[in-house]
Formats: sequence, structure tokens, C-alpha cells
Amino acid sequence: MDKFDVIVVGGGHAGVEAAYAVSRSGMSCALITFEKTKIGQMSCNPAIGGLGKSHIVREIDSMGGVMPLATDMSGIQYRTLNTRKGDAVQALRVQCDRKLYKEAVQKIIEETNIFVLEAEVTDLIVKDSFVKGVIANDKEVLAKKTILTTGTFLNGIMYTGSEVTKGGRVGDDSAIPLSKKLYDLKLPMGRLKTGTPARITMSSLNLSVMEEQPGEKPTPFMSLTNQANKHQEQLSCYIARTNKKTHKIISENTHLSAMYSGNITGIGPRYCPSIEDKVFKFSSKDSHQIFIEPEGIGVDLIYPNGISTSLPKQAQKDFIRSIQGMEDAEITEYGYAVEYDFIDPRTNKKTLETTFLKDFYLAGQINGTTGYEEAAAQGLVAGINAVLSIQKKDPFILNRDEAYIGVLVDDLTTHGITEPYRMFTSRAEHRLLLSQNNAEQRLLTKAYKLNLIKKERHQKYLEKEEAYKNFVKNTLEKTKTKTFVNKKNNTVNLDEKRSISSILSRPDVDENKLIKPQGEEKNFYKRASIEIKYKGYIDKQLREINKNKKQNNKKIPHTIDYKNISGLSNEVVEKLTRSKPETIGSAAQIEGVTPAAINLILINIKKLELQKINA
Amino acid sequence: MSVVFALATPPAKSAICIFRVSGPGCLDAIKKITGSGLKKARTFYLRPFLDSHGGVVDRVGVVFFKGPESYTGEDSFEVYAHGGLGVMSLIVDVFKGLGFDEAPPGEFTKRAFLNNKISLNEAEAVVDVIDSSSREGVYLSTKSLSGTFTDAVVDFSKRIDFLRVGVEGEIDFSDEGEDFLNSSLIGDLDKVVADFSLFVDGCVGRKHYSTKNKILFVGPVNSGKSSVFNRLLGFERALVSSVAGTTRDLVESEMFYNNASFSLLDSAGIRETDDLIESRGIDIALSQVGDADVVVGVFDSFDNGVLNKFLTLARGKNYLSIFNKLDLGPPNQQGFDCLVSAKTGEGFGELKNRLAAFFKVYDKGDYSFLVRDRHISLFNSSLGCLKKASSKIEKDEGLELVAEDLRLARGFLDEVVGIKSSDSLLGDIFSSFCIGK
Repeated sequence: MDKFDVIVVGGGHAGVEAAYAVSRSGMSCALITFEKTKIGQMSCNPAIGGLGKSHIVREIDSMGGVMPLATDMSGIQYRTLNTRKGDAVQALRVQCDRKLYKEAVQKIIEETNIFVLEAEVTDLIVKDSFVKGVIANDKEVLAKKTILTTGTFLNGIMYTGSEVTKGGRVGDDSAIPLSKKLYDLKLPMGRLKTGTPARITMSSLNLSVMEEQPGEKPTPFMSLTNQANKHQEQLSCYIARTNKKTHKIISENTHLSAMYSGNITGIGPRYCPSIEDKVFKFSSKDSHQIFIEPEGIGVDLIYPNGISTSLPKQAQKDFIRSIQGMEDAEITEYGYAVEYDFIDPRTNKKTLETTFLKDFYLAGQINGTTGYEEAAAQGLVAGINAVLSIQKKDPFILNRDEAYIGVLVDDLTTHGITEPYRMFTSRAEHRLLLSQNNAEQRLLTKAYKLNLIKKERHQKYLEKEEAYKNFVKNTLEKTKTKTFVNKKNNTVNLDEKRSISSILSRPDVDENKLIKPQGEEKNFYKRASIEIKYKGYIDKQLREINKNKKQNNKKIPHTIDYKNISGLSNEVVEKLTRSKPETIGSAAQIEGVTPAAINLILINIKKLELQKINA
Repeated sequence: MSVVFALATPPAKSAICIFRVSGPGCLDAIKKITGSGLKKARTFYLRPFLDSHGGVVDRVGVVFFKGPESYTGEDSFEVYAHGGLGVMSLIVDVFKGLGFDEAPPGEFTKRAFLNNKISLNEAEAVVDVIDSSSREGVYLSTKSLSGTFTDAVVDFSKRIDFLRVGVEGEIDFSDEGEDFLNSSLIGDLDKVVADFSLFVDGCVGRKHYSTKNKILFVGPVNSGKSSVFNRLLGFERALVSSVAGTTRDLVESEMFYNNASFSLLDSAGIRETDDLIESRGIDIALSQVGDADVVVGVFDSFDNGVLNKFLTLARGKNYLSIFNKLDLGPPNQQGFDCLVSAKTGEGFGELKNRLAAFFKVYDKGDYSFLVRDRHISLFNSSLGCLKKASSKIEKDEGLELVAEDLRLARGFLDEVVGIKSSDSLLGDIFSSFCIGK
């Protein structure tokens, strides 16, 4: 009978990040998974990052996590999206070698004190609503905290046409006994679905007729830790297109698709529709893009991103072979839709500890999210908070204006989900504050205080910040000029000499032609230009944030009964009772909750406090 | 907690008016608005009140209280200014410029309670205030937001949403091969800016017109409407003569009574007339009935037919019939609400009371005025953001900043309607464009 500080169930991106966070803080951790060799497996497309997602990965990076490191150890094509737009909405997207990624993760885990146990967890050990551990392969494993990150394995069922297979991923089992246990607890649960496309051998494709999409040069890194100073061999992606014939085949077979035959009740993500959906809902478009993504270096396999499907196998083969360059496509694995259980994330606190069982945390797809990055972020949050709770310290909660991770956790625990949740930059109302390039400035010191990063890294960061401040003070504010070149390449003459920093605040200036700093100062200059450009907007946002900070951070006691607050409408009572907002700030964000309602809640909290004192 | 301010005295012309300001950091502003700091708490200082350019708005008395030794328990201060409406609105502008918010009803008491300044027994009263004021607020805002007005605001919100779908789509899904930002977007944005400018101008024009308590005087020719009107005002405002049909146009004036302001409207007498100017005056009077809160019929004799005619004219408005010229003898028959003499002033105390009684509903300060004033300032903020977005998109100055401007513009409109609408932005993107790999 083993006793750990923390048990993590599941070896996906959430589980790995949770376990790694626990181990970095010096606590003992057991990572329990079906199969050791599948730890860190990318079960969908082999890419990390993208809009809203690279933002999360850089935040994980600033807190010393696994994902950015593994990405750079396996990245085979890097591209920055939105380069023509401003800094806050630029995002790095990295194609990874699927096998190398997994191996990188496993290598990182091996170098820690994490105890990896290959077993199936069939039950939770619960005493007086405290989770004391799990039953793994019929044996008790005990711990102070348990984190469940079971992904799509919870009662997972895969559909290809009319074929139905149990499991969360091809070739893997489904965790049915555990999901039955959770059902027995009568938790608010629901079903979601997602889909994948077929896998095709690269050698069977005629890439020469497709548009080549090479990676970015010079190749950037996902992690800013400089740990991976060398890239893997870089490969290109390719773009193919569906055509009218493809659409005709799909239309003729749509009724056979698992998703259209009524077999699947789960809700799918609208931003990741199957090709059946695209053809049906956007019938006016006669072509859709397919990104041909290599699975790895020297691997004869591609992932055709954009044609996820649950059509019968023959129909899949027919429509794929109707695409130019894919006429002889050899399919090694067919696409399928997978349906799985999730637990309404509103039952979680912002630490991701559940409210129905104590010492029990949920992270990843089980909370209704999709995506490796979203899962990893939750694993990190759950891992950190499990540790802090053992240490009897204050929980670690990021605000919406501090990190995309804060937006993610708040959205999940306050608003819940209506479809698999994916991050987008438009979900963050403080988007301008949250660039993928300023994650360290937002989070590194916090991470250091939580023992998540080493002292040397923090020291180096502080030195860099100091150097940056000096650069702004000594170079940008002191250097003065009377002329500058604007974006239309015209020279502008000013009435009097102005500092570089004041000229940078003009929207028409071409900063690349203003001064030409060298070396590290090049990056400083870029950062300063961005900060000066955003300043007006950011100041406004900060004022707004600070204005209500004290009130927004006010905790709402769990004992509050909204029904007893006179003046709240039934609708508002119902919504608040369901979401159980932890703070006034969260409550205020719920649709329909008016400022007057917030006042009534505040007064009620105060009344409860006074009654307690008087009693 | 934010810094809030409120006019503690009624928003009417009076000797002095008092503003209360409360919230952390508010004392820092005293130096800015008085040009110099104040030394001692709870001490009355005479200071100039300065606007953002350093111009003197008024000479005022200022007292500050250091929290928790104050009513709300927070740092707070009070400004005693001269009670002109112009001064009040300038002071409001200065406070808003400093980032202070207008306090909703019950806010100061609420803060006092939250900061342990009042007891549990008083808590119920606080809840009542907030509850009822929110109900009153709803009542008043539904009044000011009736029908076409709300529809217009919601319509602009929808048009901004439509623009946001394109802009946000282009940001979050730029690699999807969809054409989010087609050339018509700039045109659409400019059209929204132009239409919204017109709408805001219209609102500003209507604001002053619609925020007063309106009393319209009507009556047969030469019954002494203008004399009654002038007697109420206390000075010769309308042209008075004994020639029938002297008042040819609508005369408007303001009266302050019992801390409330009333707009008095004197109309031309009603009769069949060939005089074009006068008949236009009568048309105006008839058209005013719709906007008036109270219609006062002024008569100098009892004639059932005439009286009924005016009762019909008032179309269900609050209506008061008065008999004037009491100095020439009592009316030939009973049936008037009020008997007065404009010449001697007899009966005017009673008349004023009866007029004020009609406006009892608005007793709790002129909240309806604040609601409307708030709308105008939110509209202007929204319009400012839309204009910025338009200029940025034309100059290609960063789509994420355009998105931010549009988001802010939309938020201000949400505040006007008072409803937090669900953010269906992503849903709109997914249903309008084929997204997803």
C-alpha cells in the first residue's frame, strides 16, 4: 500500500503537466496510466499552438511546464500566425513529430521523482466525502490529493459509419468502471463528441500538385527558456483542396455518417466541424482547404487536417481519392467520431478541486475542453493547487486580466460549457494585456514564488528586465530627434526635438527606420514599441480592472442561499445557484446579473457576517 | 470600490447645492480641483473649483473626511457650490473627467453598511432602498427607453456585432481561407458611424426638452392664461394685454417650487381664427398637449360646453381647471378645481401645491434626468470608439486595436440598455463562416 502526496490518473497532457508541477514543488507523485509508452501522446493533429493556444503554452513556459519544452524537442515546422497584425494577436503554431513529442514528454517525466504506475483505475477510495486514493489493478493506492485527467476515456465510444467501438482512442481501452463510479455519485454530467480524419501514407500522395507551406525562417522557439537550442530537421506542410466531386460523394453518403444517423447524442465543437457538416452547412462553398501535416521525420504518414469524418470506410476512401494529389491515397486508419462523458465544470472551484468530493481535482477534457494546450493548462492549475492545499497555503488563482489560463478556468467554472471548449483570443476581454510575448512578465515571478522554476532562471529574468528598463530610460527617452520616416516612407519634420519614445507613440511612425539597435536591444526595442503603441488602451483597461478590484475579489461564502435574498429575480437565483460563483467579480459576469443584484448579494454577505458575530 | 459622486441636494436652482464624493483615492483629486490641498479633515475651506483646463467653475466650500471617520467609512469629501444648474453640470463634468462614477441610489448607504458604519437593524432598510431604487430605476429606464428608442439602440448594437464578427474572425481564424474583411466592411463601419452620429445628435437635442416637468396652460382666448403664468413665475414673462389673442406663439419658462423644476408653457388661446400666425400658435399648443405632464385649463367663466371641449383636448393627461379673475367676483357656477386671481395673487398657494402634487412620483430627486444624462455620455463614448475604429481601419493601424474599439463601443451601448447581452460573437462567426480544420 503506497502513500503519495498526489495521485494523477491519466498520462495525457493534463496529467503530465499536473504530475510535473507536483514533482517540481518537491512532493511525491504517482502518475497512473493504462500504458507507459503512451504518456504524452498527441491523439489528434500533431501540432501545438495557434491563436489563443500559443498564448497558453507560453504561460505554461513561464511557469516551468512540460509542453513548451516537448514542443521544441519535436517541432518540425514553425509558423507565426497574424504577422501582419499587432503583437497581442500574433501566435506561434508548431507542427510536431508525433513520436518525438511523446518521447520528449516521457524523457522529461523519467528525469523526475514521479512514480509511473501502469494500471487501470477502477474505483475511488472515498471516506466521508474525502477522496483518499484510488483502486488501481485491484490494489489500493493512497494519497492526500487525487487529480483525475481521464480525457475522452470516460465512457468513450468511437463511431465510423455504423461501426461502434468502445474506447477513447484507436487501440486503447475505455475507462468504463470508473465512469460508472462517477455516475453513481450523481454528478451533473453530459456527453460531448469530437472527430478525427483518416491517416494516409505520405508516399501515396502527389505533393507536387499541392501548395507547399514551408516553415518560418529564422525558426523561432516555443519555449523562451533556451533549453532546446537546436531545432529538429524542418519539414513543409502542404495545402490540398476538396472539389465539387468530393462534395457530391460526401452529400450522397451523409445519411450513413454516424453523426447524421442519430447514433451520437453528444455535442460537437462548432469550430471543428466534420467535412460532412462543412459540405452540408456551407453548400455554397465548392472547395475547402485541407492541411497536409507530416506526422514526423522519416515517417510515411500524414494527418489531413480539415476532413474529420465519421462516414463509413468506403465513403471516406472515395471522397479522399477524389481530391487532386490524393487520387492514390492509401489510408492506414479511418476517421471516426468519438463520444465521451464530461462533468459540468461549474461543479469545480477555481482550483479545479470539485465541490462534491474533497481532495479531488478534475483537469482536462473531463471538464469539457478540447485541445492539448487547454488540457495542459488545467493540469498545471490542479497540480499547483493540490500542492498548495497540502501545504495549507492560499490557492493559486489567475485572474482574467493576468493570463489566458485565468480566462480558461474562469469560463469553465463560472459559465460552464455548451460545446467542447477551445481557447480563442476573443474570449479574453483583456486581450491587449495578454500577449504570447509578455507571458514571462506576467507570470515568472509568481511561478518562482511557487517553486515552479529555478532561482537561476528567475535571476536571469530580473536582470533582463533591469536591462530593458535601462534601455528605455537611457536610449529611448534620452535620444532625441527632429525628423522621422513615416509608414508611407515620407520624412516628417517636427517643430522641435522629441524623444524616441514620444515619437514611437505616433501611429504613423515606421519604427524600423527610426533607430537601429543591435543584439539584445533589438528585442527590447520591439517590446518598447509595442508597449508604447498599446499604452493608451492598456492604461484604460488597467483603470477599469483596478476600479472594482476590491469588490470583485470579495469572496462569496459557499453557504449563501440566493433564494433567501429578496429582490433577486428567479432567473438570477437559478443561474447563481447553478454556477456558484466564488467571487463577486465572477457573479457579475454571469448573464442577467445586474449591478443592483450585485448590491443585494454584497449586502446579504455582510448581513451573514454580522449575524455570525452577533450569534 | 470605485469613487462615486452624487448631488445630495435636488437638481434644481437653489441657493447652494452639495455634492458628495466617496471612495478610495478620492482625496487625491481635491488638489486637482481646488488647485491646492486641504490640511485638516472636517474643516470647511473656501476654494476655487477648477475644471480640467484650470478654469474656475465656481468658488466653493470643501470639507473632507478621512476614512473610516466618515459616513461611508471611506475617504470622502463634500463640495458646497452655488446652486445654478449650469454650475452643477460643470461640476458633474469635472468629476466624470476624473473617472468618478455617478452613484446609483442607495450607494452611499450601502457603502456605509459594508464598512460597518451602520447596524444590522438598519440593513433591511438598506436593502429596501436598493431594491426600490432599482425598481424605480427599471421603471424610469423603461420609461425613457420605451419603444423606438430601445429598438434603435439594440439595432446599433447588432450592427456593431456584425462588424465585430468580421474583425474578430479575421484575428482568430486568419488561416482558414475565409474572407472575413471584405472591402464592404470599411464602408459598413463608416455608415454605422454616420448613422449613429445623427442618432446621438437627435438625443442631445431631445434631452433638455424632455427632462423637465411640463405644465401646459390652455384656455379660451383672453381668459388670462398668460397672467396666471406670469403670476406663477413672479415676473412678466409672457406679453400680457387685454386684447384677445395676444400670445401668438408658445412661451416656455422655468419655475422652481418645492425643490423641483417645472417647465411652464403658455399657449395661444383656442378659438377659430383667420389670423395665420395665431392659428399656428394654436396648432403648436395642441401639439404640445402630447408632451405635457399636466394640462391646466384657464377660464374666466363657466360654460359647460367650453369646459368639456378642453377636457377632451387634454386627452387623459393630468388636468386641472382653474377659474381666473376671482377679483372680479366668484364664478357663475361651481365645478372648477381651483379659484385664483392673477391680478391679486389670491389662491396661488393652493394652485402651486396642486401642481406640485402631480409630480409626487418624481420625488426622489430627478433620477429620470440622471438616467437620460447618463445615456448621452455613454452614447458619446460609444461614438468616440467607433470613430477611432474607423480611422484605424483606414490607416491599417492594427486590427486588434480596431477590435478593442468596437468591443468598447458595444459595451457602452449595453450599459444604456442595462442588459448584459450574451456574448454570441463566436457563435455568429461559426454560423457565418466555415471555420475549422
